[in-house]
Amino acid sequence: MSAQATAGQSVGVAMKRKEDPRFIQGKGNYVDDLSFPGMLYLALVRSPYPHAEIKNIDIAEAMKVPGVKAVITGKDLEAAGLGWLPTFHGFDKQMVLAIGKVLFQYQEVAAVFAESREAAADGAEVVEVEYEPLPVVADPFTSKTDKVLLRPDREGKTNHIFHWEVGDRDGTARALESSPKRISQRMWFQRCHPAPLEPCGCVAYFDTMGRLQFHVTSQAPHVYRTALALVTGIAEDKIHVISPDLGGGFGNKVPVYPGYVCAIVGALKIGRPVKWVESRTENLTSTGFARDYHMDVEIGATEDGRVTALRVATTADHGAFDAAADPSKYPAGIFGIVTGSYTFPVAHAEVDAYFTNKAPGGIAYRCSFRVTEASFAIERGMDILADELGIDSVELRRRNFIKKDQFPYPSALGFTYDSGDYHKTLDTALEKIGYAALLKEQAEQRAKGELMGIGVSTFTEVVGAGPSKHFDILGIKMFDSAEIRIHPTGAGIVRAGTKSQGQGHETTWAQIVAEELGLDPQTIMVEEGDTDTAPYGLGTYASRSTPVAGAAITMAARRIREKARKVAAHLLEVGEADVEWKDYKFQVKGVPAKVVTMKEVAFAAYTNMGPNEPGLEATYYYDPPNMTYPNGAYIAVVDVDREIGEVKVRRFVAVDDCGTVINPMVVEGQIHGGLTEGFAIAFMQEIQYDSDGNNLNTNFTDYLVPTSLETPHWETASTVTPSPHHPLGAKGVGESPNVGSPAAFVNAVIDALSPLGVRHIDMPVTRDKVWRAIRDAESGKA
Amino acid sequence: MNLQYNGEEQIPAGWDKVWAFVTDPEKVGNCFPDVIDVTVHDATHFDAVVKVGVGPVRGKFKLKVELMPDAGGQRLDMKMSGGGFGSAVDLTAGADLVEAGAGATALKWRGQAVARGPVAAVGGRVLDAQAKKIISQAFANVRERLSA
Repeated sequence: MSAQATAGQSVGVAMKRKEDPRFIQGKGNYVDDLSFPGMLYLALVRSPYPHAEIKNIDIAEAMKVPGVKAVITGKDLEAAGLGWLPTFHGFDKQMVLAIGKVLFQYQEVAAVFAESREAAADGAEVVEVEYEPLPVVADPFTSKTDKVLLRPDREGKTNHIFHWEVGDRDGTARALESSPKRISQRMWFQRCHPAPLEPCGCVAYFDTMGRLQFHVTSQAPHVYRTALALVTGIAEDKIHVISPDLGGGFGNKVPVYPGYVCAIVGALKIGRPVKWVESRTENLTSTGFARDYHMDVEIGATEDGRVTALRVATTADHGAFDAAADPSKYPAGIFGIVTGSYTFPVAHAEVDAYFTNKAPGGIAYRCSFRVTEASFAIERGMDILADELGIDSVELRRRNFIKKDQFPYPSALGFTYDSGDYHKTLDTALEKIGYAALLKEQAEQRAKGELMGIGVSTFTEVVGAGPSKHFDILGIKMFDSAEIRIHPTGAGIVRAGTKSQGQGHETTWAQIVAEELGLDPQTIMVEEGDTDTAPYGLGTYASRSTPVAGAAITMAARRIREKARKVAAHLLEVGEADVEWKDYKFQVKGVPAKVVTMKEVAFAAYTNMGPNEPGLEATYYYDPPNMTYPNGAYIAVVDVDREIGEVKVRRFVAVDDCGTVINPMVVEGQIHGGLTEGFAIAFMQEIQYDSDGNNLNTNFTDYLVPTSLETPHWETASTVTPSPHHPLGAKGVGESPNVGSPAAFVNAVIDALSPLGVRHIDMPVTRDKVWRAIRDAESGKA
Repeated sequence: MNLQYNGEEQIPAGWDKVWAFVTDPEKVGNCFPDVIDVTVHDATHFDAVVKVGVGPVRGKFKLKVELMPDAGGQRLDMKMSGGGFGSAVDLTAGADLVEAGAGATALKWRGQAVARGPVAAVGGRVLDAQAKKIISQAFANVRERLSA
């Protein structure tokens, strides 16, 4: 298979990424690279208090700092009707700059505009804010008591944000009660943060036509345009959102942040371009975090290990504002995938969310709307059940898998799984890692007192939001779109409503068009992120690009092919019905010698189109009929040092089934990246708050990002079960490794410690926690 | 982050001299380590600007200080609140003056600090030692000035 696809087969080819020469030569174009004449810089004053009344803000000293042009506060914005920003799922609002009080540490309090970044920072330092500290609510369980009301601005005078549930409550309770075996476990999927290496930022200015030119780190530029029109009252045609190269996003660049609104207000008020680029600390402390779900997981089973029921009750910490960018009908995202890969006859899941004095957010970090929490819950739960039953965890999974011939499978919590072959995927992983030999080795090691663990995770994800009848953001249905133009010489351009943050769309979108039209992918340009040129789309997150926009691109290309068929018929001097598409060319049916290439047809479409409409372009808006269900089998092998609690990941095998693969190299790269993040979540990453509401992980010395030194070696393989409803059979993969791997790591560590009687450790599974668990077990406290 | 400290200074001066010193805003303010500026508002209130450095976090703190001497002259309480460079501190300190004989006075003090923001995030590693140093140094400075 050529690594440099040309006209012919393109989908499935490990073509080198077209964007990489630009990136590896330092020629990427990021927001912070932009500079405009007269550009000012914005710095934000942030609250050191997690909860405090604002008694006074004195900007006099700041205005004296050389270079400072203006300072605005929440009161200024409120007077202009811009005090609050709607959150993306539409049920809450967030202060742009604090009004009356602050609700989390590092909340935005005032905005300082100055001639240089340094002057803005100096100005921000001397804005004097007088605070009166208020009692702090640092966890959702304290919040539940409503002793301190955090959001008196809301109609309901309670810290409880929502209750959501799905499934059969009574039936599940009955099934659990009558099950011969039952397990229950509280699991906390800790608060962590996507921490893209490029933090969030923007440049805003109003051009000579009075149009807002807004360059911003956004995973969803069109949604930003609409949201800005709704918030600011600027007509949507007067807003141009441009998302240039992004240095990672992982969901962190989906929400609209206060800094963006302040930059736009500053640009309007002062009449000059304004740049805002946050610091690492600002990124970690105030932008969209991930998870923070406290999950009570119960599973019932028969003596021989057939699952009978699943119940999960979750307490969610949403922080100071309900800013989790969930689809509006799904306040807990698609957590209902918690039944995983197994045939639960009955299940019930519920989530109660609470405000706390912590940063808002909740769904970011390479996760399709709470699927990561759900997968962790079921995959940890299955291991605990296996332990309880004394059945090998692989065997328990096998007994309960949805079988290949059961698809499309209606789950107990309302999803219709599209396709999969879980047994085959698991077998591939077991064979690759040499499971039987590992079990034998483990028995020998245990006999010597060594702690060796094998952890399995056989997850099923649900991605590609989503069908318009179920999914919308701010009311906008979650379709996606593509526009393709083929130029006279057979080169072309494809524009999509998605936005790559490193996923390689410039390559894979070109491969899809090339595959469908028999063109050279090297001459198909991909453009995204510019709302003036790209068709309206909902953006890139939740592994939705290939399932939704990839389908739109395929369908748009097929529209072009249909149009091209008419031109081909004209060139071949036959009726359209006599032309067939074969081997990436048009040929007269049954006459292989009479062919015309798409390149020839493209030229003719502009020069010799006959009776046909000139030109060769098409647009398609794709509304998926269902979600897609990528799945995988991951196996981790760890060795735990009994003396110091250190965990070493010896091996890790990941077998992914993401349906049809467009570019195996790009997929492998995504899996490597996602596994590395999953490894970080399992062992290193947590945004901790102390009981006073201080954020303790405000930089990369306290919030760890693994380097190549810590990262294990990843062994990957794949099985392919195409999605029956996606035009290419593709399912999406970006988030699978992050969704599936944390449970494999934790299961491996607990398996290693199981001879000591250790049953569960919450992530991150740090050396300290492992050491304590071993010491407690040895002293009989476990 | 809550921090608590205590200590004792033996001052070779009589009670009246010590009391007069510790209830004088100008004098107390200038005992703060790395003080840059003291602005006295009245007999019990003053502002102090001090240089602070905790690990990588460095800058100026502006503190509002209130002196609260008890009527009997046995005890002085002090409240400080303020902050800078995105951090906030609230300090309370109390000192009992005890005659220690031979014209000497013992200053038995204890202090409590609550830190928030970047200075709190650097945490126990350095903040605790640094805060203790600052607060001890302030009382040591009182002794030094009165000994001179």
